[in-house]
Amino acid sequence: MGLFRYELRLLLRQRLTVGALALLALLTVAALAMGMAEVARQRAAIAAIPAAQAEDIGAVAHYVDHTRDAGSAAYYSFHPTWDAPAPLAFAALGMRDVSPYILRVRALGLEAQIYDGDTFNPELALPGRFDFAFVLVFLAPLFVIALFHDLRSAEREAGRQRMLDALPNGGRALWRRRTLLRFLLTWSAIGIPFGIAAAFAGVAVAPILIVLALVAAYLLFWIALAALVGRLRWSSVANAAALAAAWLVLVLIVPTLCNVAINAAIPVNQGAEIAMAQREAVNGAWDVPREATMRRFYATHPEWADSAPLGPEFHYKWYLAFHENGDESVAPAVRAYRQGLEARDAAARALGWVLPSVGVQALLTRIARTDLTAQLAYQDRIRAFHHRLRTFYYGYLFRDRPFGKTDFDRAPRFDDRDRG
Amino acid sequence: MFIAEDLTGPMTEPILIDDLTFAYDTHDVLNGLSLRVPAGSITALLGGNGAGKSTTLSTLLGFTRARSGRVEVCGMDPATDPDAVRRRIAYLPENVALYEHLTAVENADYLLALSGERQGHDAITAALAAAGLQDQAWHQRLGGFSKGMRQKVAIAVALLRRVPVLLLDEPTSGLDPRATADFSQLLLQVRERGTAILMVTHDLLSAADIADRIAFLEAGRVAHEVRADGPERFDVRALHARFQLGGDRLAA
Repeated sequence: MGLFRYELRLLLRQRLTVGALALLALLTVAALAMGMAEVARQRAAIAAIPAAQAEDIGAVAHYVDHTRDAGSAAYYSFHPTWDAPAPLAFAALGMRDVSPYILRVRALGLEAQIYDGDTFNPELALPGRFDFAFVLVFLAPLFVIALFHDLRSAEREAGRQRMLDALPNGGRALWRRRTLLRFLLTWSAIGIPFGIAAAFAGVAVAPILIVLALVAAYLLFWIALAALVGRLRWSSVANAAALAAAWLVLVLIVPTLCNVAINAAIPVNQGAEIAMAQREAVNGAWDVPREATMRRFYATHPEWADSAPLGPEFHYKWYLAFHENGDESVAPAVRAYRQGLEARDAAARALGWVLPSVGVQALLTRIARTDLTAQLAYQDRIRAFHHRLRTFYYGYLFRDRPFGKTDFDRAPRFDDRDRG
Repeated sequence: MFIAEDLTGPMTEPILIDDLTFAYDTHDVLNGLSLRVPAGSITALLGGNGAGKSTTLSTLLGFTRARSGRVEVCGMDPATDPDAVRRRIAYLPENVALYEHLTAVENADYLLALSGERQGHDAITAALAAAGLQDQAWHQRLGGFSKGMRQKVAIAVALLRRVPVLLLDEPTSGLDPRATADFSQLLLQVRERGTAILMVTHDLLSAADIADRIAFLEAGRVAHEVRADGPERFDVRALHARFQLGGDRLAA
């Protein structure tokens, strides 16, 4: 322990080292605080849903109770869905930063509602929001470079190398000890604030340990790289320059180029195009003979085929039928879009096996349930809920049952616990 | 007067080099070097730049492996058992660069700990005192230490380690005359403990002042070797002329 104490003393008496470690800890704390604030904001927005929903439905119910029309109820009432953040979401906001975590849906065409704001899908580890994952993936390597680039060269440049080499037991044990100490300090600057934040957020022990192990593995990768460069016996400045270049290549340039390559290799249309196509199908349905619309609808929903024939006047069951027909018309595009996203995601994950920055980012968002898989699972839950919503309203519309104020209480409610 | 030839055997001659050759690629650096440093003696190794002085030290420390010949430190081969050899050697490079963020006592304690030879605080301060470092400096960080003061700390470590061999690389380079004289006195004290001291130097005057033997290295071998003889020890003027001649030859 005596030697470790001396190594620690040597390190902590160097202002640059102390400054770097303090800055890393500060950045980690700031990132965790910002992530937790964002998650708290999302939780607060989700917690406010029931009150807002009660107010919305109250306003619609008054009108619906007057008309007794289930179609009006279906048309004017929004029903909330939400994707509550997982306990670890604060560490890696991932897709939660770019995709909605609350979606209020009506019993009309769903796809346009889902893809209305979907204009891009960042699958790879491109720089995102300032969160713990950002600090770990993008910034931590710079601190490893700062602490390790001159591990040996500084001794050489200070003229101590030969004297140290001439000491018995000085050799490898010295470098192992110094490497271990710097590693532990760097890991602590990241891991301890994370551990405290995770415990505070109620994260289970296993995910915390996995993330701490991931932090250690990622730091060790950069430490190994620094050691490799150090073996070339270049000057400290040359070591730092080489490692900074490696950081630029491994963390920024290659992931970006790979993102471009994956996007080119796996073309995926924008989600907004699906929304547009669904809307066009719905708008075009006004000009389609109503019998044709209903024939098409009954073909896929025979359980409602015995509904009373349409009269000359407007009926919401026709309106909702052509909305659902619109959804079905874009179903192949939705499937292709999803498959494309999943293929891109799989390619990005495969890349993570050879590119640690991408792999760590992907693994963190997976553990935090903020990745594409989590987003698609939320969409699946929306679709399942929307199906129940449609079936609920169809029960009134296709049977010509009146819809009253109290019927809203029987409407299905979204349950976020139905996780995939 | 010190008669080196009277001492024989590995422990009485802790440094033994016999017909040593070494080359960097095709460039011969050591070419049949033979040298013995008896216990309790100081040998100064003089030579021009590139004569092979530093390579000789590197070979003794096990940093470089000789092409042929025999090298022994306390009867052990540095090439095959470097760690055991280094346990018996204290080495002071030309610029004793210790840790500026540690005090003199901490530096000594740290270097002893690195060697696996820790000693108590009292022993360390006693050694620093014996090395001539004033007590006000013991607990000061080395940032403001002169080369002479840093050397005293390093010598204190050597004293504490009680090693039989002390290797010095240009120890008086950059020292003022007073510091050189202090250092010379210190070396004489170390010698009295029975330590075999090999000092690589350009400083003929200080070598002549304290060395028991001076070896002139030229083209990788000992070209001349003189021993202290009588109260006058060395004829410095004659040695200087000889040294200059060797230096010119090397430079040519």
